[in-house]
Amino acid sequence: MNLSVTKLAALNVRKDLRLEWRSRDVLNSMLFFALLVVVIFSFAFAPTREESRRLSGGLIWTAFLFSTTMALNQSWARELRNGVLDAYRVAPAPAESLFLGKCLGNFLLVLILECLMAPLFVLFYNLTAVGAYWQLIVICLLGTWALVVNGTFFAAMSIRTRNRELMLPLLLLPVSIPAVTAMVTATSNVFTGDSSALVQIKFLAVFCVVYTTISVLLFDTVLNAE
Amino acid sequence: MKSPFFYLLLVVNVVLLGWGTYQALVVAPPEITMGDAQRIFYYHVPAATAASILFGINFLASVWYLVSRNAVADALAVACAEVGVVFFGVVLVSGPIWARYAWGTFWVWDARLTTSLILWLLYVSYLVLRNSSESGSTSVLAASLAVFAAMDMPIVYMANRWFPTQHPQPMIGTPNLDHNMQTVLLWNMAAFCMFGVMISWFRYGIERTKQKIDQLHIQKATAGSPAMALPALLLFQMDDKLLREKAVQHQYMVIGYVAVWTIYIGYLLFLLVKLQKMKREAASLGLKEN
Repeated sequence: MNLSVTKLAALNVRKDLRLEWRSRDVLNSMLFFALLVVVIFSFAFAPTREESRRLSGGLIWTAFLFSTTMALNQSWARELRNGVLDAYRVAPAPAESLFLGKCLGNFLLVLILECLMAPLFVLFYNLTAVGAYWQLIVICLLGTWALVVNGTFFAAMSIRTRNRELMLPLLLLPVSIPAVTAMVTATSNVFTGDSSALVQIKFLAVFCVVYTTISVLLFDTVLNAE
Repeated sequence: MKSPFFYLLLVVNVVLLGWGTYQALVVAPPEITMGDAQRIFYYHVPAATAASILFGINFLASVWYLVSRNAVADALAVACAEVGVVFFGVVLVSGPIWARYAWGTFWVWDARLTTSLILWLLYVSYLVLRNSSESGSTSVLAASLAVFAAMDMPIVYMANRWFPTQHPQPMIGTPNLDHNMQTVLLWNMAAFCMFGVMISWFRYGIERTKQKIDQLHIQKATAGSPAMALPALLLFQMDDKLLREKAVQHQYMVIGYVAVWTIYIGYLLFLLVKLQKMKREAASLGLKEN
């Protein structure tokens, strides 16, 4: 069997998505959680139209960040049952393909979540973008990738520790704060139209490239850490 | 436990620390508007420099460990990360004490302060990971995390160069810093960088002994994160009206210096207690000291 990394990654994505489609436990819990966050924030702050333009960048990304954490924990915890992770370890397939497959799978899941949640945000918070709204798509793609690539890596790391799920936020949040700050500022800039979001978008792009590279390089080490 | 060379350097370091502090408190000219409160600067900046050097060594040692799986590299990485966290803790405690005087508030969320806090959190999470992973994989996982953490260092370093910040701009070698002040600062930098290296050396020795003990029996040694930020409690009683008086400047300086030394000495005591425990454990297992 000679399969390239991309083909193997695609196989992994298909397998993950099929599993998710059949059970739908991750997407459902993510969606419900994000919905709860939106509702809680909206009556905790009760913002006016102007305020919500300023606040919603932070609200949106906080909601997505926490619900992503749920998905990430699940994506590896699933592999622990029946020793699937050990099977991956002895398989001749390169570890990068597994990592990239997982990343893409999680990326798609979070994107679906974002597409479903975005209309709700607009509805609940009366959002209208003053700045260039097409930039939101770029911010969304880059930001989601930044969260997912670090998240998938650190979820793989945290299932190797004693307190598993507890460890992930402790490791993931400090590493991704610079990216989250950039996403929040960029999103708020687009909503309010006060200043350009281009600096933050560039920063996010660099962040994605740097952290994807390190994650791919180190994943094999973490998977086989003994 | 240590060579005579270590003790010789220790004496030199203590003299250097004393000289640096004397320079900072007596020789350095008072700043025009901030008076004595500005003297916190001579402890704040050197601690940051020392912490950066230690985090840098941690990064190199981690890469070395990932390549060679050498226990020496691992011990070096732990020692530098832990001492680096303590030194950076000093930065994060002494900075706000000064800021309370200079800006009227302990903390603002500007680029430099935020990125610094993140850097500190990253290395705290590194220490947490070391204490909670399964024994076999700890070092590999921690070394991988260290590579991620190191990527944040350039961001912190450049934060007040790239973005407009409330935090002062870099001053060494610029006309903004008085020549005498710069000399005092450089003395203190030398003293505290050496101090950092000496404690790391000491901590490294402890880590090596720990590795030997672990080989004798698999048991987790508990290591708590150092207690910090206690001295900040002193500041809650201060009144804003008094702010600009000379006595108050002096008070801030004293609180700053006491806070810094509380952290350093607290950490050293923590290490000594740890060492004593370890010695007893080693003796009970029959480990020979070298």
